[in-house]
Amino acid sequence: MRLISVLGPALGLLLALPLPGRAAPVQTQHVEAELVAENLALAAGGDNWLGLRLRPEDGWHVYWRNPGDSGLATSLSWTLPPGVSAGELQWPYPHRSQLGDIVNYGYGEETLLPVQLKLPADWSGGDTLALQAKAKWLVCKDVCIPGSADLSLSLPVAPAGSAQQADPRWRDAFAKARAELPQPAPADWKVQFAVRPEPPGNIPGNGDFSMAVKGAHFSAGGAIEFFPYASDLLKHSAPQRLDNAADGTLRISQQLGDYFTKAPAQVDGVLVVHDSVSGAKAWELHATPGAVQPVPQQAVAKAAEPPLAAAGGQPSLALALLLALLGGVILNLMPCVFPMLSIKAISLIEARAKVARRQRGHALAYTFGVLASFAGLAGALLVLRGGGAAIGWGFQLQQPVFVAALAYLFFAMGLSLSGLVHFGTRLMGVGEGLTADKGYRGSFFTGVLAVAVASPCTAPLMGTALGYALGQPAAVAMLVFLALGLGLALPFLLIGFFPRLGALLPRPGPWMETFKQVMAFPLYLSVVWLLWVLGGITDRGGMAMAMLGLVCIGFALWLWHKPGRASGLLRLAALLAALALLTTPEVRTVSAGHAAAQPGGPEAWSEQRVTQLRAEGRTIFVDFTADWCITCKLNEHVAIDTNTVRQAFAGQNVAWLQGDWTRADPAITAVLARYQHSGVPLYLVYVKGGEPKVLPQILTPATVVDSLKPD
Amino acid sequence: MRAMLKTAVLCGIVSLCAEAQADAPKIGRPAPAFSTTDSDGKTVSLSDYAGKPVVLEWTNDGCPFVQHYYKGGAMQALQKTYTGKGVAWLTVISSAPGTQGYVDGAGANADTRQRGAAPTAVLLDPSGKIGHLYDAKTTPHMFIIDGKGTLVYDGGIDSLPSTDPDDIPRATPYVKNALDELLAGKPVSKPLTSPYGCSVKYE
Repeated sequence: MRLISVLGPALGLLLALPLPGRAAPVQTQHVEAELVAENLALAAGGDNWLGLRLRPEDGWHVYWRNPGDSGLATSLSWTLPPGVSAGELQWPYPHRSQLGDIVNYGYGEETLLPVQLKLPADWSGGDTLALQAKAKWLVCKDVCIPGSADLSLSLPVAPAGSAQQADPRWRDAFAKARAELPQPAPADWKVQFAVRPEPPGNIPGNGDFSMAVKGAHFSAGGAIEFFPYASDLLKHSAPQRLDNAADGTLRISQQLGDYFTKAPAQVDGVLVVHDSVSGAKAWELHATPGAVQPVPQQAVAKAAEPPLAAAGGQPSLALALLLALLGGVILNLMPCVFPMLSIKAISLIEARAKVARRQRGHALAYTFGVLASFAGLAGALLVLRGGGAAIGWGFQLQQPVFVAALAYLFFAMGLSLSGLVHFGTRLMGVGEGLTADKGYRGSFFTGVLAVAVASPCTAPLMGTALGYALGQPAAVAMLVFLALGLGLALPFLLIGFFPRLGALLPRPGPWMETFKQVMAFPLYLSVVWLLWVLGGITDRGGMAMAMLGLVCIGFALWLWHKPGRASGLLRLAALLAALALLTTPEVRTVSAGHAAAQPGGPEAWSEQRVTQLRAEGRTIFVDFTADWCITCKLNEHVAIDTNTVRQAFAGQNVAWLQGDWTRADPAITAVLARYQHSGVPLYLVYVKGGEPKVLPQILTPATVVDSLKPD
Repeated sequence: MRAMLKTAVLCGIVSLCAEAQADAPKIGRPAPAFSTTDSDGKTVSLSDYAGKPVVLEWTNDGCPFVQHYYKGGAMQALQKTYTGKGVAWLTVISSAPGTQGYVDGAGANADTRQRGAAPTAVLLDPSGKIGHLYDAKTTPHMFIIDGKGTLVYDGGIDSLPSTDPDDIPRATPYVKNALDELLAGKPVSKPLTSPYGCSVKYE
């Protein structure tokens, strides 16, 4: 082993020697580094292009000349014979990567940094020139490792004026690097910048940098990004506001950096213009001070920064409350609330015979039940988030014990509706059963139950409102959640207070018994679904334990009306056993992850994979989903996993990535937060690696196919 | 005013006061107050050091930029020099559990011993509360607070982003200069610079 490790590099070196223009690449931790030359020989008296080739491992990146909020630019220092001089490293335009608040500029794939080498025309240093340089870089993933390599390259020297022959091995790499190097801006562009307010009036965090490029006439539609050379000029994580006016003037505004102190005499940087037809082009800008109107805050459209652009700004509080209210009403119709709704409807029909006052009381109790549970859930969510936990709406369903308990509840309610057991004096579900005729407790608990089962159904309008709520002070967030609860309770509240609306419901009669029995089946289906979710979060062991629990529940309910002390004791024992099963490690343990991706199906989502695919210019469809999210599953079956969409994906070489939020995953929670979504589903499309756009939460095949086209 | 009201509302309803302070600390303004546990398990508050200049140094033992300042003894020398002149030097660790640089109290003390560091205290901030309060971006990221509790410096340890200790003598020593000016009763001439280093490993 040792012998090989010594001989290996030596052998490699030996093999490399006869080849001009290539020393063996140096392998360091996570980076392969190499000095390469464009041509097979160096020209005396001419311009020679060399390149520092760096290939970070997948998921790792090295930095651009301005690394952003952290990191370190790659550097190259030469040891050259007299008369030979090397220029500065040339930098292809970088890629932006964001981790929380930290934004970096760098390269996550193999990159060639060109550098020019000049030899005197009267070169007399011999037939070959041995070049030596030390490259230093910082390579980072979630942690950073500084690296360096002593690179060398021996090349023959051709006399001045002789024809040059390109080295075929590096032709493509140099071509790619040149295409990505910033070009000098055309002479007829007028580039000016302004800083507002001027220092020293500037308070960090309040100032704006604005730049205007007059006469550029960029085509509308493509993403445009500006990367400054100075690291302290801009707040890298702030959105770039763009205005690409019809008169051909492009304006860019961005918040000043937290460490900006003084307006420079000139601002230098690279403007990258993405075009769906011709690809990306980079221009080097040198802006001089001038009068530039800042781009208003709302105008983030088409900017490099996706979050606000996608969400279309922040809704106002009134709008958020209205959306939440509507979302709550719609929630009544979502498949996960439907069984609940049917039970409540039965109770309403039955209760119609009673006096209106009692109906009103029940409606209020139900509403209080809904509001109290929403307040409780929202409170828990806010406190946990305040404590730094990365969770979002629907987090309850990431807890296997909660899911199993919900399955028990649905099963018991189903059995009751099927007529196995009569709770209290009337045929009611468990929640209703608590009422008997005496109190409003039952209606209150029906409300609690409705919220418990509604949580996985993030109704379309709810996403925006909840996303808004979570970004607001606790009081506002609570208001939005309560508005949502009010929406959920609204239909029954209205019927309670306006009995005439109740007249629209069918008359009571013997048909109700049949209806109740039929309604048991959606509940059984819900049980199957919950068990499937549980099996996904835990494994089949956890699922089996919960099913044993269901048998215990069934046994206990069968014993319900059997007289005798023994039956009472057995019943208690069975119920306790069902509860005890919930505490077994099989149910409590969240399994590590999902099975491997199936061929033709989606690939697992990761931030790195997205960056990589975007760098390749691929169109990406990202689908954030969870087993317990009915809306997500519905979209997958109705819209995404259809022939039309699959053909479109195949035809346009679309990468389909799926992020599974069935279990808590901070990386996905972070993305959801970035797009102001508090839960799944979230669909993002990056057309040809461009800026992401957010699709609606209810999809059709046509929506998906249309979204793949550049706008 | 609106921000203050927002903060007041938030603090009143849920005790999220630390998180509510969304704005970064500002030079010339009172430094945000905090209280946390140090590596010896004692509670340490910024107010404990009222009347003394305080240095906050964000650190992460695994970060090469931090190592660059500790390997050659540069950071230790700064700590010894200025704690000797009555400055309180608080090293803060905001790495979340499971991330690079996270240590418990014993681990922090072992690191301090092993690298011969001489801070006044090492503050454990695994939740990132103090880090976010000060908007600490990198390790190292340095803050200086004067005896009156005013923030007088926010930025890098020096002017030259590097992981190579050989570069330290070539850099402008921002923190050293600022402390010298502060102790001489002069205003800090360069109160705001770009911090450089590894990103703070918040959760």
